[in-house]
Amino acid sequence: MRRRKRIALTLASMIASVGIVLALIFAGTASEGPFARVLHTLGGIVGRTENRAALRLRGPGRIQELGWLERYREDPAVTMAPDTLLFGVFDDGIPATLNGVLALERATRFPMAIVQMYGAWGDKPVQQFPRTTLDAIHAIGSIPLVTWEPWLTDFENSKHPSLPLRADRDRGGLQAIASGQYDFYIDRWAAEAAAFDHVVMIRFAHEMNDPYRSPWGPQNNEPQHFIAAWRRVVDRFNAAGATNVVWVWSPHVAYAGWEQYWPGDEYVDWVATGALNYGTVAHWSKWWTFAEIFGRHYPSLAGLNKPIMIAEFGSVGVGGNRAEWYSQALGNLELQYPQVRAVLFFNMRRDNTVTYQAIDWSIAADSATLGAIRRPLPAPRAPNQPAGN
Amino acid sequence: MVRTLTPGLLTWRRAPTITTARRMVLHAMIGAGLLLLVRFADWWFRADHVANVPLFVVLSLAVWYGAGRIVIGWINVARMRIPDHMDAPSDLTVAVFTTSSPGEPLSMFEKTLAACSHISYPHTTYLLDDTRNPAFRETAERHGAVWLELTDLPGAKAGKINAALARTSENFILVLDPDHVPFPNFLHRVLGHFTDASVGFVQVAQAYYNQHRSFTAAGAADQTYAFYGPTQVGLYGHGAAVAIGANCTFRREALASIGGHGIGLAEDLVTSIRLHAAGWRSVYVPEVVSRGLVPEDLGSFFKQQLKWARGVYEVMFAELPHAARSLSWRQVLSYGAIGTYYLSGITAPMYLAIPYVYLWTGVQPASMLFGEFIAMGAPVAIVAIAIYLYCQQWLCDGDRERGLHLRGLMLKIACWPVFLHGTLLAIIRADIPYIPTAKEAVRGRFLRLAWPSLLLLLAYFVTLGYTLYDRLLRESAGNLMLSSQAVWGMMAFATVSAALSGGGIYAAWQARNPPTGATWDDIQLEAIQCDVVNA
Repeated sequence: MRRRKRIALTLASMIASVGIVLALIFAGTASEGPFARVLHTLGGIVGRTENRAALRLRGPGRIQELGWLERYREDPAVTMAPDTLLFGVFDDGIPATLNGVLALERATRFPMAIVQMYGAWGDKPVQQFPRTTLDAIHAIGSIPLVTWEPWLTDFENSKHPSLPLRADRDRGGLQAIASGQYDFYIDRWAAEAAAFDHVVMIRFAHEMNDPYRSPWGPQNNEPQHFIAAWRRVVDRFNAAGATNVVWVWSPHVAYAGWEQYWPGDEYVDWVATGALNYGTVAHWSKWWTFAEIFGRHYPSLAGLNKPIMIAEFGSVGVGGNRAEWYSQALGNLELQYPQVRAVLFFNMRRDNTVTYQAIDWSIAADSATLGAIRRPLPAPRAPNQPAGN
Repeated sequence: MVRTLTPGLLTWRRAPTITTARRMVLHAMIGAGLLLLVRFADWWFRADHVANVPLFVVLSLAVWYGAGRIVIGWINVARMRIPDHMDAPSDLTVAVFTTSSPGEPLSMFEKTLAACSHISYPHTTYLLDDTRNPAFRETAERHGAVWLELTDLPGAKAGKINAALARTSENFILVLDPDHVPFPNFLHRVLGHFTDASVGFVQVAQAYYNQHRSFTAAGAADQTYAFYGPTQVGLYGHGAAVAIGANCTFRREALASIGGHGIGLAEDLVTSIRLHAAGWRSVYVPEVVSRGLVPEDLGSFFKQQLKWARGVYEVMFAELPHAARSLSWRQVLSYGAIGTYYLSGITAPMYLAIPYVYLWTGVQPASMLFGEFIAMGAPVAIVAIAIYLYCQQWLCDGDRERGLHLRGLMLKIACWPVFLHGTLLAIIRADIPYIPTAKEAVRGRFLRLAWPSLLLLLAYFVTLGYTLYDRLLRESAGNLMLSSQAVWGMMAFATVSAALSGGGIYAAWQARNPPTGATWDDIQLEAIQCDVVNA
């Protein structure tokens, strides 16, 4: 009896100790745990309360200046059928600050209606739904756009034992997404996007037809798998009630055959492409005008009958006249390319994604370029005025 | 705050025995705690958490000093052991030493000496007196005590004890603080352990009867409960029960083997180390068989803490390195743990400064996600608190001593300038400056005691006001929302430390009018309840 009691006690204490550890580890795991969630919610409440108080004390400021954008920010149907040309920006200060956005707005005098940020897939906290950043963009009166990059190797096998080993994930990765292997991640984003409740634009797996840049390119995937993956993502979001998401499909038009990646009219709200002039910074590049980069592809893009976005718009200053490049591109944009409804400046100071030395795309300090593109703000249109007038 | 003696204080109390089942539960909790701590450490020391290298190093030292002390505490309680009672042999010769010094109130000695005469085991009480006041002799002799005049001796109390040892012959000596009232069964609970010839001293708990008199007294008592319960019980399990200077019964032969009682600010600790180094064993009896006084006003408490801090460091620098070779590793670890207590005088201001540095300069030591920090750190904190509370079943007087001891924590936080002072004095090997007894204006005394906490509170409100103004009216809209969590998270930390410093301010405010009246008058010796076994 005595011995039996001892063994029972030993077992009980072992189980209890394992239980305590498991309970606590479970209670506190990574960024998804209940502790973190409560804190996140609390942090969001603090941020929004503070913002409301500041607005009350200082007045609405920019939100009022951009009052005409209110319809876009709250109603996805308006954003899907825009009745004016919107400007926007990706700024490399994001997500630490939006000051760069406001500075470029002051410098160009274009209201930055859309603020773009980049988000990669993965387990890390920065790879989760960027609610705080979206709240901040919404709080200054703009529409957030997330360029959502499916970097599949940032999921750890220890947390997702059912996924293939990291080295094997990129090949056929889009097919894996289409088959539902990444629904655990997509669904979390979908739920949080639905909870955001304001318009958010998502540009998923952009430049899917570029075989050199990203792992979701054709070197690893077939076009039909991209289409299946895209539809899967959109369907999961719709199923979660995230109808406030506006979907932006964004091929790289310099590579032929991008039409094969079209997911279908009912799955896409906007069509986007980049228009970056690398000038002579690299051996593979030369000075291209905006018309050469974008204009010759405009007819086929316009044929898709969606509003068009220049999602990454910019020129370096090496190898040509930058001020002229911008004024040529913007000077006649609305007449030449009437379906273009958004131009997003690429305000990146140190870009080394494709070149060995960092490229400076920012124009906020380039007075010649600013002078060339500065013009009266596009007048906000009356809500019932038809587009194109 | 109740201003009368809490009922039940004058009753003999002891910690309950440790059953195998409860020890296993404790071991399970400690096991869980260690695993969680490893997990926390693995997360903490990630390279991408470093925002500012020097500050991160400083913060890590502070955090892991605290965590290290928690682990040492766990290691300690893991081996808690309560000795079985041993009946006292009937033929031992026992002396009770108590000391009196100029300025100490005679009425207190009336009580103490009367209580000594009530100790039922045959003994001789000696009053070691240097007051040069004939009334002390008269009082001692009226209570059947032997009066020894021991004036002009170096080494204060310890000097008198050594001189008295030379003039007496009893084999066992109980050293009793003059503010302690021993219960009649005191010696019966202790002497049996000397049956083992290797036992050099037997220590019992120190308990108090005046903790209800002020915030300081309550907080100071709070700080001792765990020490005289689970901590010393654990130290005994590790073979390192320490002598506290008071309520300690020594074997004359043991004291003689180390050349008498140690002298210095931490004479008790010195004596303890030397006895252990000489191979004597010690026994800790977790029982309340006497009650005494704890400092009631913040000034006295600070003075006591400064003395202890300086004294303990002296032991660490001067005594422990020599003795370490003769001590077991457990004893070295135990004494080392005692020695690191006062390092919080260095870490506390680091913690206090971090939110202010961030809120005013934007510099932060670590770039951790607050949510992750909580997710990793909270389980460790929860288990540490759970272990602390679980161990409270082995307090000597659980009914009265259990709790979160927040007043003790507040008082410890208020003490950081004192600890820091003691640390610095020890490093430069300087003596404690003479602190005159307060006879100055009341207001001056409040400010002298509370200024560090008041400064912190001032800094807090200025920072809070400035931050609100800056963020609501000036901060750019582009930054406002994106920096809100970091700023208000830091402000939350600052709020916690400011709130905790409120205790020190309150204690200093109370010290303007310390409680009056002789507490010992409340003690009715007839009210003491204890069973005298084997009388």
